[in-house]
Amino acid sequence: MSPEQPIPQGLSQTRREFLRRSAQAGAAIAAAGSLSAWLLDRHPPGDFSRMRSLDARRDFSMRSPGPSMGIATGRDRPAMLRGALAALGGIERFIKRGDRVMVKVNAAFATPAMIGATTNPELLSELVRLCRAAGAASVVVTDNPINAPESCFELTGIGPAARASGADLYVPGPGSFRSGTLKGASLIRDWPVLDEPFFGVTKLIGVAPVKSHHRAGASMTMKNWYGLLGGRRNQFHQDIDGIIVELSMMVRPTLVVLDGTDSMMANGPTGGSLADLKETNTLIVSTDGVAADALGATLLGRTYRDLPYLVRAGALGLGTTDYESLRPVRVAPANA
Amino acid sequence: MSYSKARSPGAGEKAISAAALVVLASVLAGVCLRQRVFDPAVLAASAAGAPAPGVRAQGLLASWPDGLSPMGAQEAFGPDTLSDKIDGKADLYLSAGFVSLKAQRVGLAGSPPAWMEAFVFDMGNPSNAFSVFSSQRRPKAADAAIADYSYEADNELCIVHGRYYAEFVCSDRAQSTMRAAEALARSFVAATAVTEHANVGAEEAFFPSEGQIAGTVALVPSDVFGSDKLSNVFIARYRDGAGEVTLFAARRATAQEAARQAQELRSFFVDDCGGKAAAAPAAPLGASLVELEGRYEAVFSSGPYLGGVHQAADRQSAERWLSVIAARLANGPQ
Repeated sequence: MSPEQPIPQGLSQTRREFLRRSAQAGAAIAAAGSLSAWLLDRHPPGDFSRMRSLDARRDFSMRSPGPSMGIATGRDRPAMLRGALAALGGIERFIKRGDRVMVKVNAAFATPAMIGATTNPELLSELVRLCRAAGAASVVVTDNPINAPESCFELTGIGPAARASGADLYVPGPGSFRSGTLKGASLIRDWPVLDEPFFGVTKLIGVAPVKSHHRAGASMTMKNWYGLLGGRRNQFHQDIDGIIVELSMMVRPTLVVLDGTDSMMANGPTGGSLADLKETNTLIVSTDGVAADALGATLLGRTYRDLPYLVRAGALGLGTTDYESLRPVRVAPANA
Repeated sequence: MSYSKARSPGAGEKAISAAALVVLASVLAGVCLRQRVFDPAVLAASAAGAPAPGVRAQGLLASWPDGLSPMGAQEAFGPDTLSDKIDGKADLYLSAGFVSLKAQRVGLAGSPPAWMEAFVFDMGNPSNAFSVFSSQRRPKAADAAIADYSYEADNELCIVHGRYYAEFVCSDRAQSTMRAAEALARSFVAATAVTEHANVGAEEAFFPSEGQIAGTVALVPSDVFGSDKLSNVFIARYRDGAGEVTLFAARRATAQEAARQAQELRSFFVDDCGGKAAAAPAAPLGASLVELEGRYEAVFSSGPYLGGVHQAADRQSAERWLSVIAARLANGPQ
């Protein structure tokens, strides 16, 4: 087309239309880009590939012949632990050479060990020592106290005890959890559960004190698994019995150790005063957490019937509330 | 060259446009599908990666008693985060009107192993503060004569100062440590102005002193004896032969309200707890007696007062203590 040629009317309109549409498109792109930039989370919570919900079950139970509950009486926790384990056939029955052991303690509060709100450090030291002596390749000690985990481990004496006895202390961080779902559960669904420290673990031992609990009635080995949950888990307090039962479905430990040397009779689970404690002089080691807690309830002056989660766990076959049916082996170690 | 005024898009252009729209729709559907299910792991990870929301730089006190110094920053918690600090005990405070908690660990100079943690609960008003104080009071605890109410139990010092309930939990029970806790408590009281002090003298007078176990007068803020319809009731424990019995009393706004709540509590024992209504006692007029799991509950109202006996060993015991508390309330608290 030469300049002399008249511009067709239709073409003139198409140019204007082109410029107008180009401007509109540019504005739309700029707006969309600005909105996207505004909405972009520049600090994402982590690796999203880890958010895929995993099977939350943790089954470390063993089926070996022999007694499944040992009860030691006395005041010396290490001696009582050795005695109760000996009654079950020794730690070697449960921990084999090369095992990688996780010890789940109760380190929920940054309180002094003497008030009994957390796992006793002397007891923990002896347990770690026994595991190492049995040939465990590694022992990792962990819990998930929501508030100030480092302080909880240090001020309770659990951290120093773990390190001194040859265990690794695992303090959970943002990358420690994965979204997990427990088959058949109504509460543990797409919920963050402690995952990373379980890598390579072959045996799991729970160690908890006997405590009253304002909401659940009592906190013992079954409630201790609550520390495997992450997220805003306080919402589970609305169905505390339900979550304890589901945790017992989720976790099948190798052993549990229930420390009733001193029991927190009131003002639990935090306690605060030595006046809350009573010398109940009992330490229980069992492969059955339900049975251990049923016996632990008696140290608090109750029965399993007073604790709905125990009744429900027993009915579901997660263990037996009739602990005498396990024919527990009772020992009173010398000097304990 | 030819021009067209309005050209229809070709088949290829249409196909590309349709494909682009399909891709965009797929992305939108994927985003909606992914976000449909709330994933708490994201929240957990976000929260875990962020600084602790409760930590404040400012300390509990502007100046500290000699020999005491903060070990770290003060922590602060509200109703939504209280359980992060005290787990299952949070309900005790929440049901009693909890507003906020400030906590701080304090070290003792010259005694590296000794330390304490101060917990200061703002309970909204003095009555609520007394409620959580009294419901946790340790048996045989010694009066510490600090603030409105106080006691010292082994390694712990607890006080009520107006709307505040404070606990000082020590790492040992050495005299030096406990005196340091007392100094800290007194400093807190001196530095914290309150508009109203706790005083439950009138309610304590509901209960006769004879046979009363010292330090057992308590205000139950909610779920009294398990009933979610009954709240703010004072109780006191008494020696009863080889065992114990609990008396309870509360003043309501009107006689009608007191009578209604007495009836509701009776119904709770019978209908909800499976108790068996027993023959009414001779006095006071209108009182009810319920046998529940081998023990006896007695309930009555007198004017604006609601009262009764909880877990008496037998009917005779229930009637005897019922007459004691009824006489007390009928004459008006002394």
